[in-house]
Amino acid sequence: MAFLALDGLSASYGGGKDVLSDVTLNFAKGEVVGLIGPSGSGKSSLLRALVGLLKPHAGRVTLGGAPVDYGNRESLRSARDRFAIVFQQYNLFQNMTALRNVAIAPTLVKKRKSAEVEAEARSLLAKVGLGEKFNAYPDELSGGQQQRVAIARALALHPDILLLDEVTSALDPELVGEVLDTIRALHADGMTMLIVSHEMAFIREVATTVVFMDQGRVVEVGPPTQIFDAPQSPRLRDFTARILRH
Amino acid sequence: MSYTLIYSQVTGHIPYLLAGAWLTLQLACISFFIGWAIGLVNASLLVYGPRPARLAVRAYVTFFINTPLLVQIFFIFFVLPDMGILLSPYAAVAIGMSLNAGAYLTEIQRAGFGSLRRAEMDAAAAMGFSLVQTIWYVVLPHIAKALYPPLANQFIIQVMTTSIAAIFAVEELTGRAYNVNSLTFRALEVFSITAVIYVLLTIACSLALALLGRWLFRVNAKVF
Repeated sequence: MAFLALDGLSASYGGGKDVLSDVTLNFAKGEVVGLIGPSGSGKSSLLRALVGLLKPHAGRVTLGGAPVDYGNRESLRSARDRFAIVFQQYNLFQNMTALRNVAIAPTLVKKRKSAEVEAEARSLLAKVGLGEKFNAYPDELSGGQQQRVAIARALALHPDILLLDEVTSALDPELVGEVLDTIRALHADGMTMLIVSHEMAFIREVATTVVFMDQGRVVEVGPPTQIFDAPQSPRLRDFTARILRH
Repeated sequence: MSYTLIYSQVTGHIPYLLAGAWLTLQLACISFFIGWAIGLVNASLLVYGPRPARLAVRAYVTFFINTPLLVQIFFIFFVLPDMGILLSPYAAVAIGMSLNAGAYLTEIQRAGFGSLRRAEMDAAAAMGFSLVQTIWYVVLPHIAKALYPPLANQFIIQVMTTSIAAIFAVEELTGRAYNVNSLTFRALEVFSITAVIYVLLTIACSLALALLGRWLFRVNAKVF
């Protein structure tokens, strides 16, 4: 049975045009899913809907066999307990050090002991290569370093599924590699991930399944070899032809 | 023009002037903090309040920003007694300056309320923060930091504005300088010393505020 199932999910911002339209997808635990598609195709909206930042108006999300009710506080809280999202613009708390950024949610939301959380935050920051930057504030870090703090912050929540929303798009080209290395390491650890990215080579390398979206709809789903080498739908063929030409 | 500087006739009055500077600082602090509180309430009303409250705040701000402070204090000092409210010069000046600063601080703080960072609030929500936790840990620190430099600026303005109290015979720095001048007729010496005291006072305040800002909010304020 699918670990995460989306069934006919539709959503819009403020009742406007649907940014997600009848999205149905199933993922198994341990899968790394690459979400690709043109800008405005609904990839980021899908991740935002999963963490309840965008309320779906139709469809169902089932996580680990239990339905998620985004209108219900308890249900939303437990969903947010199991998803962790990393944003394109990092969204770190500017008024907190790297260490505090990582440690605050586990202590505040999960009510864990602060000494224990802090020790874990230190080891997570060390894991993403920021062992020397515990006390640095976000504005003292490079974009790549901030994004790695954001990844450590998400990991500190012990999510079942990690959602990565164009995490390298805002970075200078030479900083992209360090963030991708961090994600590769998570992949090696068996973390279930949904990755929205324009780094096609990277998606091809780490993804077990690739989802191609266009105009809020899922157009094609398949293994990377199919999606990139033998696309079935004309829209995807067009997309890959234009992307792979570069 | 031949004018011989004779500072010796004035230097004896410096302790008297410095005591006036202390009063200057007091007036600046009182009017700033009361004005701050007024501004905070007003800004909250402007952002979250019902329409009548917003209109009242708007009227208040418009009135106090578009009339001279001196006229406002004249009103409080000379007109209110007709209505049976008799105030000491010190109280009239303090109230006038507070109300006036309140108008400016309303505008400043309203701008701070508008500078919320949506992205950080999204992150907090996605991590399961409650609304109260989001406001306390994410929104308020940000507003405080954003508002600190303009608030510190307003405080320095308040220090300067206190000199208006001299007109009402309040013996703050300018008032006392006026007294010493009437006594010695050494205008250049008296007012140059007074100017130096003002400069030292504001530099000391700026320095203290900059250090406080760095310590509290990591505001990268230039000390000089």
